[in-house]
Amino acid sequence: MKRKMTKAEKTEARWCWFFIAPTMIGLVVLNFYPIINTVWQSFCETGDFGRGNTFVGLKNYIDVLSGGEFWISLWNTFKYALIEVPFSVCIALVLAVLLNRKMRGRSVYRTIYFLPMVAAPAAVAMVWKWLFNQQYGLLNHIFGTDTAWISDPKIAWVSIGIIGVWSILGYNMVLMIGGLQEIPRDYYEAASIDGATGIRQFFYVTIPLLSPTIFFIVQTRIIGALQQFDLIYMVMDTSNPALGKVETVVPVFYRYAFTYGNKGCGATFVILLLLVILALTVLCQKAEKKWVFYN
Amino acid sequence: MKQRAVATGLAIAAALAMTACGAEEAGTGSGGASGSADALEVKIWDGAQVDGLQQIADEWTAQSGIKVNIQTLGWDEYWTLLEAGATGGDMPDVFWMHSNVAQKYMENDMLLDLNSRIEASDKIDMTNYYEGIAGMYRMNDVQYAVPKDHDTIALCYNKAVFDQYNVAYPDETWTWDDFYDAAKAITDAGAGNAYGYAIDVGNNQDGWWNIVYDFGGYIISEDKKTSGMDDPKTLEAMEFLGKLIKDTMPPQSVISENGCGTLFNSGVVAMTTQGSWNINTFYTSDNSENYGWAMLPYCDRNGNGAVDEGERCSIYNGIGWAAAANTDAPDAAWELIEWFCSEENQVKQADLGVTMAGYLGASDSYASAFEGMNIDAFLDMEEQGTLIFRPCSKYTTNWETMMGENLVGAWNDTSTMEATCRTIAENMNAQLAQE
Repeated sequence: MKRKMTKAEKTEARWCWFFIAPTMIGLVVLNFYPIINTVWQSFCETGDFGRGNTFVGLKNYIDVLSGGEFWISLWNTFKYALIEVPFSVCIALVLAVLLNRKMRGRSVYRTIYFLPMVAAPAAVAMVWKWLFNQQYGLLNHIFGTDTAWISDPKIAWVSIGIIGVWSILGYNMVLMIGGLQEIPRDYYEAASIDGATGIRQFFYVTIPLLSPTIFFIVQTRIIGALQQFDLIYMVMDTSNPALGKVETVVPVFYRYAFTYGNKGCGATFVILLLLVILALTVLCQKAEKKWVFYN
Repeated sequence: MKQRAVATGLAIAAALAMTACGAEEAGTGSGGASGSADALEVKIWDGAQVDGLQQIADEWTAQSGIKVNIQTLGWDEYWTLLEAGATGGDMPDVFWMHSNVAQKYMENDMLLDLNSRIEASDKIDMTNYYEGIAGMYRMNDVQYAVPKDHDTIALCYNKAVFDQYNVAYPDETWTWDDFYDAAKAITDAGAGNAYGYAIDVGNNQDGWWNIVYDFGGYIISEDKKTSGMDDPKTLEAMEFLGKLIKDTMPPQSVISENGCGTLFNSGVVAMTTQGSWNINTFYTSDNSENYGWAMLPYCDRNGNGAVDEGERCSIYNGIGWAAAANTDAPDAAWELIEWFCSEENQVKQADLGVTMAGYLGASDSYASAFEGMNIDAFLDMEEQGTLIFRPCSKYTTNWETMMGENLVGAWNDTSTMEATCRTIAENMNAQLAQE
């Protein structure tokens, strides 16, 4: 039932709008307008310098979907996400539990794990690129191997995944520590009185009560992983023989839009990616009801 | 009531902060764009040249009172930014133009028409510049950029590696077969620690395109409508290149991960082909006292034992100085271009070791700019060899990138070279048909 607002409420509402205006204007100008423009461009054959766009209907979509490049890059994107999401979440969970206990140097460890998040992604990528270098890299030097970590088409996707996991681990961990601290100690006390060991407490108390946080992280990381760009752009040189097995959708979009200057096809790539992400998000939300535990 | 006062105060403060930001942005924005320019924004893509160019520009500032801020970007970022700037109407005042994209920028009226200004100038006469380069930046008789430089390609070799494996240094008598023999000798003796030669798929102007033209092949037809990648002569050259890749180079993944320059500078590779714009990199390298330069080898197609026209080719190119069509300071921008391209400063540019000149006959002093290193080979290439203008069309970048992508496979398995070249020709013809 709708009721008339009082004068005070009206004033408050006005102030609300006033305070969210900066964010709203930013979103509209920097996000909504480009999104609409991108959708429009995906239906156009774009001219040079954004001039002379002509509407061509679904032509770009037919071209992109019938060519192999989109499907290969989509598969590469999933391969990357399949490494990044499960590993970064599981390892972060274990680390969070370990670093949530009382121990010496706890904040030092937390800081160390969080540091990659503070470093610029481009810098992270460059350092890993040299660690992975076949001839002069530290990894091959330490292990005494001669592995082409980032140039061997069979393993390059794993190497890239490792960098991804390493970069995001600390962030996931900090979120999980936050979630852990919300769990009341009483549950653990009750569990230990009932004779539950540490492992059993982890699986029957920690995980169910942490599931909202875990769900949030999984959901946002899936979205983030599917949008992977900078690692691949920085680490994989354009003449890298493994590029075709690693290049995800966004770098391919970048190549079309900015190297080839074909904004229309580029836009089509990202719109298709957007649809994939939307579908996965809906699936995740459906799954949420099954296993996420809100008390 | 008190709360409300605080809230109002905060809101006003926030609003003030926002408008202050806005004003500041507008201020910096108009700095480069104001009618009476007190500073020109210049963008280039080669960090090795910025010191010399800034020095020349500063002398102009001393007499014109207009500051010149030269910014350097990486090659890829440069084109991304320039295109974004052109699309959004915010280009630098003065910048470098390249044959790869010149046609696209000229057709879309992104560059300042220089005709009337050239006509009125007593310093610039277009007949004084390399015609291949000057013509590249001309469309429908309108000149859009003035040549800044020209370049040639030569062979750099590491004497220490040659001595170690007891192989004779390259000289002007070398054919590509001699080159192959020497490179193979070093590679065989090096047994994985040393290789004769290295180029990656992207080393076209400073690498395999020269071989293609030496063998009598071509990359793109004169009318820019068809690809030459499936021409029999080109295929012959590419088969020879395949032999070089297989027998004298490190695995392609090694070249890709480290880059030819690094491999050469660390003594892993004995020879590298390089453009004159890159001399300074090798001049300032740790082992530069071991480096020598020779002309590129030739291909004795008619078998007469002498170098004939077209048998020793150097793909050449030249950057052009251009100004934005919508710059707010067209006069100042032109004066700076005129300054950079005048005979005096073209000579000076060579003197300072920045690059060879775009002005005919102004490059002689370039050879003496690198004390202790003999780089005559670059000038000899021009006098004794054949200059071929860098293959290009309206969307050069598109087929150039496509070539590189396809050739990665052929570099890794040279038996697929011919099939790859035919695929490239097919794709390139399709792309050219759409231009």
